[in-house]
Amino acid sequence: MILRKTIPRTIKEKKFQYAGVIILLMLAVMLYVSLSMAITTLEERNVAFKQDYKQETFHWMSSQPLSGAEMSELEKKYDLTLEERSYQDINTDDTTTLRLFNKTEEVNIPYISEGEMPQQLGEVAIAKTFGDKNGISIGDTISIGGTEVMVTGYVFLPDYIYMIEQQTDLLSDPSQFGVGVTTSETLEAVKGTEQHQTLGWNTSNEVPDELRSEVNNRSTLLQFVGHDDNARIEFVESEIEGAGSLITTLPLIILALSLAMVLLLLKRRLELQRKEIGTLMALGYRKSELRRNYLGYAYVIGLTGTILGIIVGAALSLPLSDLYANYFNLPALSRFDFDPMVLVIGFIIPLVLLLILTTFVINRRLKTEPLTLLRPKEISSGKKSWFEKLPWFNKGGFIRRFRLRLLVRSKARSFYIFLGVMFSTVLLVFGLITFNSMDRLVETTYEDIQTYDYAVHYSSLQTDPTSGGGSPYTMAEVKVEGEKVSLYGVEPDTDFLKLISDGELLNERLNDGAVVSRPFAAIHGVKDGDSITLTNSFNDDEKKVEIAGVADVFIGSSLYLPHEEVNAFLSYPEDAYTSVWQDEKPTQTDNVFLIEDKQKVIDSFESTSGATRNSVIGMSVFAVLIGVIVLTLLTNLIVEENSPSISLFKVMGYHDKEVSKLVLSVYTPIVFVSYFISIPLASVVLEQSMNSLVQQTGFIFPTDVAWWMVVIGFVVIGLTYWMSLALSKRKLKNVSLEEALKKQQD
Amino acid sequence: MSILVQDVSKVYQSGEVQILALRKASLEVPDHKVVAILGPSGSGKSTLLNVIGGIDRYDLGSITVAGETLEALKDSQLTEFRRKHAGFIFQQYNLIPTLTVEENVEVGRELSQNPLDMKEMLMKVGMWDKKDKFPSQLSGGEQQRVAIARALIKNPEFLLCDEPTGALDEETGKKILKLLQFVNKTYGTTVLIITHNQGIGEMAHKVIRMSSGEIVEAYENENPIAPEKVTWA
Repeated sequence: MILRKTIPRTIKEKKFQYAGVIILLMLAVMLYVSLSMAITTLEERNVAFKQDYKQETFHWMSSQPLSGAEMSELEKKYDLTLEERSYQDINTDDTTTLRLFNKTEEVNIPYISEGEMPQQLGEVAIAKTFGDKNGISIGDTISIGGTEVMVTGYVFLPDYIYMIEQQTDLLSDPSQFGVGVTTSETLEAVKGTEQHQTLGWNTSNEVPDELRSEVNNRSTLLQFVGHDDNARIEFVESEIEGAGSLITTLPLIILALSLAMVLLLLKRRLELQRKEIGTLMALGYRKSELRRNYLGYAYVIGLTGTILGIIVGAALSLPLSDLYANYFNLPALSRFDFDPMVLVIGFIIPLVLLLILTTFVINRRLKTEPLTLLRPKEISSGKKSWFEKLPWFNKGGFIRRFRLRLLVRSKARSFYIFLGVMFSTVLLVFGLITFNSMDRLVETTYEDIQTYDYAVHYSSLQTDPTSGGGSPYTMAEVKVEGEKVSLYGVEPDTDFLKLISDGELLNERLNDGAVVSRPFAAIHGVKDGDSITLTNSFNDDEKKVEIAGVADVFIGSSLYLPHEEVNAFLSYPEDAYTSVWQDEKPTQTDNVFLIEDKQKVIDSFESTSGATRNSVIGMSVFAVLIGVIVLTLLTNLIVEENSPSISLFKVMGYHDKEVSKLVLSVYTPIVFVSYFISIPLASVVLEQSMNSLVQQTGFIFPTDVAWWMVVIGFVVIGLTYWMSLALSKRKLKNVSLEEALKKQQD
Repeated sequence: MSILVQDVSKVYQSGEVQILALRKASLEVPDHKVVAILGPSGSGKSTLLNVIGGIDRYDLGSITVAGETLEALKDSQLTEFRRKHAGFIFQQYNLIPTLTVEENVEVGRELSQNPLDMKEMLMKVGMWDKKDKFPSQLSGGEQQRVAIARALIKNPEFLLCDEPTGALDEETGKKILKLLQFVNKTYGTTVLIITHNQGIGEMAHKVIRMSSGEIVEAYENENPIAPEKVTWA
């Protein structure tokens, strides 16, 4: 059909408008494809690694290892595979720790991605990310615990996918902590404290109900971690689950915005070409032929936007997958790990939606009789709406009344401007809150609340008085409504834990009941004055406690009670403790199971804040880009639609600046109203999404909006609006004086 | 008889006012002739042309064109009727600005199963040399020539011209009239021209005068004159 030729020519003529909607569509598809491909790659690799390399179902550490006979008995009874594994934490320098394991054969089987598996004394394989961050390559010789060893390969461990030193760590920092495997002989040769753990695996991937108490009866359990509670395993799955909503929500919102823009643009095109459509109808063109022709615009926009989005998204998924690969220690077990359905969905959904909605808009126009289309548009807009009849509407000068009328009569455009600003603001505020949250989380949790420098965890209950000003406490895992919770028995007057809530110290309240962390309160939906029941995981003893306060502890589902109360509940001696907080670095490491160095945690946070900053900058750029496109498109259309009036104003002697004030700046109040509504909305949406993920992640980001965020957001959104106005003012300047005359002739 | 209009009436609703655009109009248009419908603005001549061409409906009466009774046709059948039998020429030309001269004519050619030759048509309307120009690069007269070629190329039985010279000066207007007469003679196309320019009646085989929606006079013109000699009003 010859009419097809009009499509590329029209698009070329209005290239900025069409490029705008194509970019919007491309961004939606790009975001979906890149995130989905990266996440499905992550998921596929996680599932394959988990299955093929027998990721543990659980592991435990006990005061005394079980005998071989006991292990066999448990394996038989519970249909399990059990395997002993030893490890040592070795400082390779002042700030770096390498956790070196012996090779296992049955559970958590190491995967060598490059090089060789260590076979002889003096050979080790290390995590690639740890090697990269610390400048260690295959073939290098490194000194560990006074022994020179050679790196023979890069290794991945199924139970260290998220490579954190302690289960409570939030961030993985391979520059400070990494894992490796070696032979049992090499591990024995290294001078240090060797730890032992028992790894368990079964086909159902479920921890048998009685196993924990049975092991505890045979040897005191220091730690029993099911795969669900193992952050090193679970965090990747939470990330996949959490990303699921991001993958769909964000692209869907941009898709909705871009579809609205396409429809607006097409409606405008059909309006501009009403006479052409009328002529073609009069000549005998069928509605189906005209529909096919106008659907061509949707095809061009849809195909270009989706194909570009898929190409850019696929390309972007590679660095994104690399980023994930650095973040999560997952090997690339096969070449193509992503789900090809991502590409199909990324292509089909936007295109189908676009075609359906466009057909609807075209059909509405084609319902009009050819004669009506051939005539100039009726001056139906001469009628006043009820809103315009309100007394205050007609007060003030001509400029005020003209601007108000324009605003009232272009509800759809006003609405889209409102939505565009809202979307950009929410995205921007998300970024700012996240940026601020990281700092606040570190400051509050690690500086204001946890005022100790070291936490020393012992491998058995201690009763000896502490030396050097340390504060003993008891830590245990209990259940509340079936969910595992960390129970802390602390001295209320300790100087090492200040349970603060909005600046108020809650330690005194421990005498009245339990103080809980923010994630605990979110998971269990509790507040001050509520009662909860604790269940001892080992003997099912129960204890009812009242919540005396919610502290600003943002990490971990924790509950704090007085020390002796916890000891009594757990049937420990009155003065027993499992751990000690202190300021001095411990020198005595006998019986020590783990030393938590708080400064290392803070350093780890700070070293990863660069990545957070980059992602915030990326998010802001994205928000501004979308804002500029949407606002420029809309203001551009406003100029185009009002070109006869603009021309008439110019003929009458109005300056460009005055005309711009009359026609363009009309929407300024909408931009600012939308901005100020979006700020609390962003905070609420983020808080809700954080709360919905807290069960998987175990932490909550503070989502308060600080005044400086409001100011920065205001400046950014203001500049975005100003940029789009500046672009549209150029178009306004180009409206010729003959435009008014031409319109009269039409 | 290719066009037969019998007692056709048409009422328009404009706000709260009813306008009787056609009052029992009856008319016979002989085949292969040029018919001029004259009258002042608001006399109903455009409405008459539109109902004959099937782009508007009427309330009473009957119109038979090329054997088809228009009031019996559904919208889609009216489209097919226009596609097969009618060619339209408008005062404002209504060319598609993003198509060249040749492509604009192609828009008409695509509708016919028995179209005329493109080169011949463009040669006849004197636009072959400018076939690659866009409408914005043409004068008003040239644009109207393209519109005539677009209407003619599908080889319609009748051509409906709504004020074809209304936007043109005398010299260009007469050239367009000459072209319409040439079309009538060469292809035997029945040409209906509506105009408020009384002089154009002198070149038609039949003249119809309208006033306030009524046909007030209809007569045969035994000796139509050449378009160049038309008195321009």
